[in-house]
Amino acid sequence: MRVEVDRDLCVGSGTCELLAPDVFEVGGDGVVRVLQPGQADEGAVRDAAAQCPTGALGLAD
Amino acid sequence: MTVEAASPAPVDLDALDLSDRDWWAGPPSVRYAAFAALRRERPFAFFAEPELPGIPVGPGCWAVTRYADLDAISSQPALFCSGRGAVSIPDVPADLNEFYGSLISMDDPRHAKIRRIVSKAFTPRVLLDQVRAVVDDVLARARRTAEAQDGVIDVVTDIAAPIPLRVICDMMGVPEDARAGVLAQSTVILSGGDPELIEDENDPVSAFLLAGMELAGLMERLAAERLAHPQADLTTALVTTEVDGERLSSQEIASFFILLLIAGNETTRNAISQGVLALHEHPDQRARWAADPGLDRTAVEELVRWTSPVTWMRRTATRDGEVNGHRFRAGDKFLLLYAAANRDPAVFRDPEVLDLARDPNPHVGFGSKGPHFCLGAHLARRELAVTFRALFDQLPDLEVTGEPNRLRSSFVNGVKRLPARLGGVR
Ligand code: HEM
Ligand code: SF4
Repeated sequence: MRVEVDRDLCVGSGTCELLAPDVFEVGGDGVVRVLQPGQADEGAVRDAAAQCPTGALGLAD
Repeated sequence: MTVEAASPAPVDLDALDLSDRDWWAGPPSVRYAAFAALRRERPFAFFAEPELPGIPVGPGCWAVTRYADLDAISSQPALFCSGRGAVSIPDVPADLNEFYGSLISMDDPRHAKIRRIVSKAFTPRVLLDQVRAVVDDVLARARRTAEAQDGVIDVVTDIAAPIPLRVICDMMGVPEDARAGVLAQSTVILSGGDPELIEDENDPVSAFLLAGMELAGLMERLAAERLAHPQADLTTALVTTEVDGERLSSQEIASFFILLLIAGNETTRNAISQGVLALHEHPDQRARWAADPGLDRTAVEELVRWTSPVTWMRRTATRDGEVNGHRFRAGDKFLLLYAAANRDPAVFRDPEVLDLARDPNPHVGFGSKGPHFCLGAHLARRELAVTFRALFDQLPDLEVTGEPNRLRSSFVNGVKRLPARLGGVR
């Protein structure tokens, strides 16, 4: 699964970081970074994408 | 589980006046019955705007009470903007905007760029356990206060107010000697003009301006210190971070500083006070949570749903259009009533039941979808979880002894005082 972040939309809310801390970390610039999508628990990543308040996370298989 | 009044009394929607401040200080059961009637019968109900002396009365606004409608509006920020004011129903006069026009009332792209200056500090990973030490100390002091007063304390003054005040002031780097002032000014700013909290009921604008000037003065003092000696605090970030190659203007810094202090204080304080009250009214739920730390996560979410500390935010249509069958014109104002959506039976099973194990719980207490989703949500959750667990462990005999004195404001579901006593102390 590939995860893409729309850097214009992300406000660094940390919602994804809460749901999938192994995959997401908000950086010092206030935009989220994707750490290791490969190892990700897919369910948690899908949850994160669905719950991101700004719709900044795109998923591709 | 305690079930609330089975069938609500009939509500006369034509007589309902959401601008009446006293109505908001009335019994919650009356408010929730009115929200239920609005959701059922008038999902987009048009209301006149509240009159605040010194602020021109605008054309009125649509009250949005259904979850699906609120979500549709919140998730389309280009069509329903915040930039014409999110925290006031009347348009705010320019001189007030100088202090109160920060990111909550801004639109992207500037909004996002400014918010990102502080985003990282509010993420789950960064929030260290500073909250725990503050809570332990506040509760120890509350016990000493009770011991000095025959067991009598006030939940708001002695517990709910000092916890978020100290946490946000620590994060911002506000020194001890300025904190009482911060609490006093932030209470005035979110008083909604409640006559008990401001000097002259007929001149709330002066009170808001004065409070804003006080906090801006504090910010200027700190800004000068931080520019000379940067610290690891948020105030340093506000004054040194560049956005699009430039530092923020002093007005942007002041209004952001003020927003963080107010939003950090007035919300969690009322969530704690209202939470203590809710548990007092639902002793079975209280006992269940006290016995089971495994409930912390869902219980905190349910308390936020149940108490909805922030009742609404405003949005303004940027053009003519239609949302879920409702036609609107450019410039129309919408009141997103989170407190109403949080009890929408289309989304929540038995919405009038407080269920601390509710899961999933997609409440909109921290806002719905969109770029303004609460910056402090993780912090507030942490503050609530730590506070209630510490209350169960350290002040297990805390008992509410009287009626809450409710804030006369539509905007925050506020409690000014909540009398209590500590059993076993004399
Ligand atoms: C239980 C406590 C809290 C509740 C119920 C709450 C609720 C809300 C709501 C409803 C919004 C507006 C969302 C929108 O317009 O879509 C919001 C925004 C905001 N909150 Fe909170 N909040 C709480 C605690 C905090 C804390 C502790 C802080 C710390 C500083 C904070 C800072 C903010 C800020 C800065 C915004 C504006 C974000 C933006 O416009 O991008 N909140 N909050
Ligand atoms: S949930 Fe969305 S907005 Fe929040 S940090 Fe993740 S990608 Fe960014």
